[in-house]
Amino acid sequence: MAKKKQQKAARSKAKGKTSPPNRNQRTYTIADHRLERPQFTLRQVRGKDGVRYEVEGDLSAPVPPIRDSKYLSKQQCIEIYRWMLLNRKMETALENLYKQGKVVGGVYFGLGQEACSCASAYALHKEDWLGPMIRNQGSLLVRGFSARDIMMQYMAKAGSPTKGRDASSHFGDIQTRNVVAPISTLGDLIPVLAGVALGARLQGRNIAVMTYIGDGGQSTGVTYEGVNFAAVQNLGLVLFVENNLWGYSTPADMQFRVKDLAERAIAYGIPGVIVDGTDACQIYDAAHEACERARRGEGPTLIEAKMMRMKGHAIHDAADYVPKPLFEYWRKRDCIARFENYLVNVKKWLTSQGNAALIADVERVLDEDREFAVNSPMPTPESAAEGVYCENGCHEIKPKYAAPKVRKGSGAFKQTEAEVHFK
Amino acid sequence: MPQLTYLEAIRQGIWEEMERDPTVFCIGEDIGIYGGAFKVTDGFIDRFGPERVIDTPIAESAIVGAAFGASLTGMRPVAEFQFMDFIGCAFNQIVNMVAKAHYRWGAPAPLVIRGPSGGNVHGGPFHSQNPEMWFVHAPGLKVVCPASAYDAKGLIKASIRDNNPVIFFEHKYLYRRIKEEVPEEDYIVPLGKARTAREGRDLSIITYAAMVHLALEAAEILAKEGIELEVIDLRTLSPLDREAIAHTVRKTNKVILLHEDVRTGGIAGEIAAIINEEAFDDLDGPIVRITAQDSPVPFSPPQEEYFLPKVSDVVKEARRLKAY
Repeated sequence: MAKKKQQKAARSKAKGKTSPPNRNQRTYTIADHRLERPQFTLRQVRGKDGVRYEVEGDLSAPVPPIRDSKYLSKQQCIEIYRWMLLNRKMETALENLYKQGKVVGGVYFGLGQEACSCASAYALHKEDWLGPMIRNQGSLLVRGFSARDIMMQYMAKAGSPTKGRDASSHFGDIQTRNVVAPISTLGDLIPVLAGVALGARLQGRNIAVMTYIGDGGQSTGVTYEGVNFAAVQNLGLVLFVENNLWGYSTPADMQFRVKDLAERAIAYGIPGVIVDGTDACQIYDAAHEACERARRGEGPTLIEAKMMRMKGHAIHDAADYVPKPLFEYWRKRDCIARFENYLVNVKKWLTSQGNAALIADVERVLDEDREFAVNSPMPTPESAAEGVYCENGCHEIKPKYAAPKVRKGSGAFKQTEAEVHFK
Repeated sequence: MPQLTYLEAIRQGIWEEMERDPTVFCIGEDIGIYGGAFKVTDGFIDRFGPERVIDTPIAESAIVGAAFGASLTGMRPVAEFQFMDFIGCAFNQIVNMVAKAHYRWGAPAPLVIRGPSGGNVHGGPFHSQNPEMWFVHAPGLKVVCPASAYDAKGLIKASIRDNNPVIFFEHKYLYRRIKEEVPEEDYIVPLGKARTAREGRDLSIITYAAMVHLALEAAEILAKEGIELEVIDLRTLSPLDREAIAHTVRKTNKVILLHEDVRTGGIAGEIAAIINEEAFDDLDGPIVRITAQDSPVPFSPPQEEYFLPKVSDVVKEARRLKAY
């Protein structure tokens, strides 16, 4: 009997019903899954030749092990590793294409953050949604876009997902991959993704909607508005706060005063989690739990992933402002090297030959995609004039999940003559 | 046919669309049990439930962002702004996220952002503005400014059914001041089609929203002097009915452009350019602009009266232009 009740409860939740959050409960605990807690700070130092950043603290700690995943199988770990490799090698290819003068504009890198992009998006189901930021090109790959799509975006080709109209990771797909295209300003995806979850809920579905914000971007007002809205409405937002220590050239210490950005969750009244942003298993597990929570209709989760941006803001930026010892510290914690060591040496799930074959396969795919992208045509000039408006039946608007359930009350339309603001 | 106020006509239009289409829902501040600051959604929550009449935090970027997100799943959100003056808070969402979505990545955004704008109610600098041109200048958006109750209902219904983001400016001075017969049956007024509010042969006045009524009042006075004014109500500023503009200029050969918005960068300048492009040879006199002055909307009644275009301004300019 009890089991039946549980099943019924689970079913009703799956149908889009939600239980209101318990307002008597404070969310004052922040789960921290890291196996090491780096202790160092940056400060501005005024020397003889000007002002620079210096790092203070112990940078000698050994690299921690990867935390075993509670959920991932061997095969899934290898798949995530492959996405991470594809992510990195694609960006290396883009760097080369840039140097060859084939890229229009700049290139943005997620170097050092591939685990965060790939392992997080890997936790999404088909019906869930993703809103990537500029460094989450790996998330787009996991979501089903190919490297050639991203390469063509950077080369402004006619065949790019935006038909040449926008660059980089600025594209999406509302039909099959459920990806919202980012815009350049930071935090604006958050209320949009919350709205996607709202739309799905009106159609009877609780889904997970995942997006990202950085230590810099979280300073924006729209970040607060979006997370707070999702919290109040109990929407299944999974927000990864990628604390990569630098917002362009400004260190995290100059963006916020709290010790950990996960503490922000307390103020929103939602769960907050800290993970090591270079440990794919920790990232996946936190993402998975947050997505499951979202699908149960229990509301948003904020996950802070700590790591470092290992390149400049974009390709033009040599990141000379970053103290060298910091690069050395984080290079030892490279997410791909750590995961490779875990799979090959610790777990022995991948032989060196298997690893070499996997790498060769990724490179083969990238070679094909690069050839295709380089040789594909530029858009016609006149195509710039198309598509400003949705017209002449270019899109059919219909509910994505199901016809919204309508429960109408007995109230009838009646005219009003009430006291109002400014008659 | 029942007599409805401008506000009631908008209410009825949204109500009918929510009855007709389950993907339509309302989202905004204080729109639920309270029914909105101007009571446009009064009683909606009882009929359609809190799922479809959603009270939000005071967070305009979140309202627009969430409406856009929901529209990506095939919903048709109607987002209320308590005052259109507050739309500045959501400016980035509207012009960078929403307006560019279809062009950039082929995502239609069938949402309506609606709310009261306009002055003459002593609302001061933050409750009286006419910010429509901010959005006319953003390709990808449609901008609607109804002047009559009939149009208000037909245009809000057309806006909700449109597959593009529509910014719908309701003139709060008209909310309960004008009343007219509005059909109970389903009808729409298509976006992008101006109407002739009064036929005339001597000169044309092209305007929209509350200023249509000012122009009609002036036309009555001028008719007694034998000057026949043609009044064109634009209805929508984006798309703009170029053909109707050119047509009236070809007919009367003299034109006054009137708006409550401030002078510099107002739609009058744009219309003057269109006349230049489409009907320059038909002009028998200079294009005259009557607009608010270039300042914030002042609070004190004598100051606001000074700020706004008046019937006497139209009468004076029309006489001058007729004699030109």
